Amino acid sequence: MAECMKGIEEADYAIGLAEKLGAEYAEAYVESSYGYSYALEQGALNSSSYFEKLGIRIRILKDARLYVFSTNALDKANLRRAIEGFRGFRGVETRLSEEKAEKASYKVDDRVSVDTHDFLNDLMQIDKALAEKKYVKFRSLYGGAGRSKTYLANSEGSKITANLPMVSSFISIIVGNGTETRQRILQFGATGGFETMRADDMEAQALEDSANMMKVIEKGVTLSQEQLREIKNVVMAPEIAGIAVHESVGHPHEADRVYGREAAQAGTSYLTPKNLGMEIGSEAITLVDDPTVRNSYGFYLYDDEGVKAEPKVLVEKGLQTGLLLNREYAKVMGTHSNGSARSDSYSNEPLIRMSNTYLKPGTASFEEIISEARNGVYIKNFMEWNIDDTRSFARYQGNEAYMIKNGRIDKPVKNFVIESGTIDFWHAARLMGNDLKRFVGNCGKGEPMQGVPVTMGGPTTLLSFR
Amino acid sequence: MDAETIVRLGTGAGFEEVVANTYVLRKSYLKIANSKVDSIVTKFEKTGSLFVSSKKRVFFTNIDRLERKDVDAAIARAKKSIEMVKPKEDYYGIAEGPFRYTKAYAPDHKIRDITNEEIADLAYAAINGATSEGATSVAGTVLVRYSENELATSKKAHGSMAGSEIRLSLRAFRGSNFSAQDTAASQKLMALDPEKLGADVARTAARAARTGRIESGIYDIVYTQSPGGSLIYMCNAAACIGNVETGSSWFTGKINKPVANPGISIYDNGNMEGSIDASPYDDEGYPTQSTAVIKNGKLITYLHNCSTAKKYNTRSTGNAGLVEPSANTMLFEHKKKARDLDALIGELDKGIVVTNTWYTRFSNYLTGDFSTVPRDIALYVENGEVRFAIKQKNVGSMVGIRVSDNMIRMLKNIECAARDTRQASNWDTEGNYFFMPSVLVRGARVSVA
Repeated sequence: MAECMKGIEEADYAIGLAEKLGAEYAEAYVESSYGYSYALEQGALNSSSYFEKLGIRIRILKDARLYVFSTNALDKANLRRAIEGFRGFRGVETRLSEEKAEKASYKVDDRVSVDTHDFLNDLMQIDKALAEKKYVKFRSLYGGAGRSKTYLANSEGSKITANLPMVSSFISIIVGNGTETRQRILQFGATGGFETMRADDMEAQALEDSANMMKVIEKGVTLSQEQLREIKNVVMAPEIAGIAVHESVGHPHEADRVYGREAAQAGTSYLTPKNLGMEIGSEAITLVDDPTVRNSYGFYLYDDEGVKAEPKVLVEKGLQTGLLLNREYAKVMGTHSNGSARSDSYSNEPLIRMSNTYLKPGTASFEEIISEARNGVYIKNFMEWNIDDTRSFARYQGNEAYMIKNGRIDKPVKNFVIESGTIDFWHAARLMGNDLKRFVGNCGKGEPMQGVPVTMGGPTTLLSFR
Repeated sequence: MDAETIVRLGTGAGFEEVVANTYVLRKSYLKIANSKVDSIVTKFEKTGSLFVSSKKRVFFTNIDRLERKDVDAAIARAKKSIEMVKPKEDYYGIAEGPFRYTKAYAPDHKIRDITNEEIADLAYAAINGATSEGATSVAGTVLVRYSENELATSKKAHGSMAGSEIRLSLRAFRGSNFSAQDTAASQKLMALDPEKLGADVARTAARAARTGRIESGIYDIVYTQSPGGSLIYMCNAAACIGNVETGSSWFTGKINKPVANPGISIYDNGNMEGSIDASPYDDEGYPTQSTAVIKNGKLITYLHNCSTAKKYNTRSTGNAGLVEPSANTMLFEHKKKARDLDALIGELDKGIVVTNTWYTRFSNYLTGDFSTVPRDIALYVENGEVRFAIKQKNVGSMVGIRVSDNMIRMLKNIECAARDTRQASNWDTEGNYFFMPSVLVRGARVSVA
């Protein structure tokens, strides 16, 4: 695979030239990718498109200044101009942690091929099933699939190739009864072929969620402010646990936020170099980021600096334990990178990113958790969410939520939102379910904005607020 | 290879319609962190794109390189793919040219030729401006872009333009409690005053000497240009017919109905003088224009390309998007004007001045229900006087409030605007610009941490 990929010779040339010109470190990343997409709106094929790209990114550390250059013009003259043209600048001194040189080649199979499967037919099947429901007023479906081949080499001797097929899909549904509507956007995706993202599964989920949203419209109760204030026990489903993990634990554990590099873009963190190790939540919570989950949307085995990926425990039994690190911030902290550098394309710099972030499950069944909650609200999924730039104050709007009465699921409730400080939220975690589930997302960060594929998940969790 | 040649090759391959674009892009991002230049990222790309249609089947592909073999491969791919897709029954074709375009603005070659050292000097001028006004830490980005585009179509539209942009986004911290962020941008290098932006941002961060807490409730809100524009510019996207058709718009079914305060007009303008995103033509080569989306509070039109215009028996508004229309630059106007930001603040009995927002999210695009999170200094005002900067918890730059509103309700309750319209953007709008004044919104719901 590696031998037939374009750009390898140019990458090695660029590293050699940068070294010759005095670079302390040089790295080249070649991406050769392609993909196609379809968009269906109200049953009609709105667009059909294809892309392919081949480009190179060169990172040079010279006189402790970090310079990144990317181009789709791989000719050596262009690369030489860029590398020779780097004159340095007044700025922060950047150093990289020492890491083992890696030589590896890895590939994920697509048993149901991204190249030959009839994805459009999948989308039309789902659309047709939704169209048969009179209460589904609007439906938009988007599907994309493709493959990314990458080659990363550096002046320390690393040479890594990857070949990753990917599939993804969005389904936007608006249900209504003439006077009221509710909206849901479902996202699916995986690293692999269509065996990892089956039309029947997506259809079933879309139909179930549509029907449940209609139940909320038709049977949902609206609670008074006083009733809402009285609710102390909230059971969050895996989808809510996932978004909460991602937004209020994963992001603030990115070291570049902790040290201020993202302050003008994706923000800062409640974690600072001075409060690392702080208590974030109750002893019930342990949170992990793990890029090595096979076929996951956030899968990789080597990061975009060539560091071997590994599971990272960010919070253990409520205590902050580790940060997501690249080589720059590993050096700042006097340690090794844990392989968290990712870019969304050859044309952007690698940043510290999450991969598959999740709350570790416990042993309780769903019924045990609802029974333990006794009275409260079960919040199953969300549409609207947000959080402040220090990641301290989040909101998750209950698109589908139910009252819990006497230990049983009761009527749907319309206007329930969780709005809580991060530390209060995670201290409220009391009982964890055994039903870990991961949800797909595209996480944005940086400038220019980079969206990388991730998953976020957790088990059904009982939160008991004071 | 140029765009006209690609069109000729595409037409020769038997497509009924062909739209080809070529692009050259040079872009540099300099990152500022902890009051120092952190890194520089430079990119250079030459690419193209190809849109084709035959018998109501449409297909779009990029052309990764502009060599003959790559163009031939893209055409062959389009030929094969278009056979496989189903017809788009409501597709009515691209614009019939030729067209005469207004002259595109002249790009600034100083931006094209700027060096890394010169970009770093701009960054340090901004940092110095901020620290001279009391900033204790500065973060930000300097973006420099130079681009060229040529568009040609099989329906005789042909245009070319070059663009330049310099944008400085700066966030200044004053101790651990106060911060402010703003952006300055221009087509011309010399029009950017980095030191002034730095000083202005630092002064905004210093507008309150102390912090305080508020209760959840209803407040009048003054949004400065960046947060106000980042909310309202979404109205032009909501007016795009594709979003209306899919229920992803709070303007669905509201043509000729009041959707805003009677003093408000909102325009979509693809070629406004001074607009960084200005282009004389849209993605199908149709001349861009100024379109009143909302006039005197009433929704006037949706935004169309030529195909959707034919479908709805109207005229294109110059908003192609080949697949579906997309918004150009938003311009907001209000008949009722206040002298300046301070005059707007003087109108608040119990209110909040929001200087930055992010994470605006909708619970339902059809109804327009959303919430947004103020970030950076938010001033609590009583009886027209700034009392303190809101800080609900002692965590870094956290403000700790959230505004929950509805787009139509908000538009109807924008009582007046300051005479301080300028081209602005913020991180949440991903580089999209808008022309926006500071505005006063009555009666928004605010929740607190």
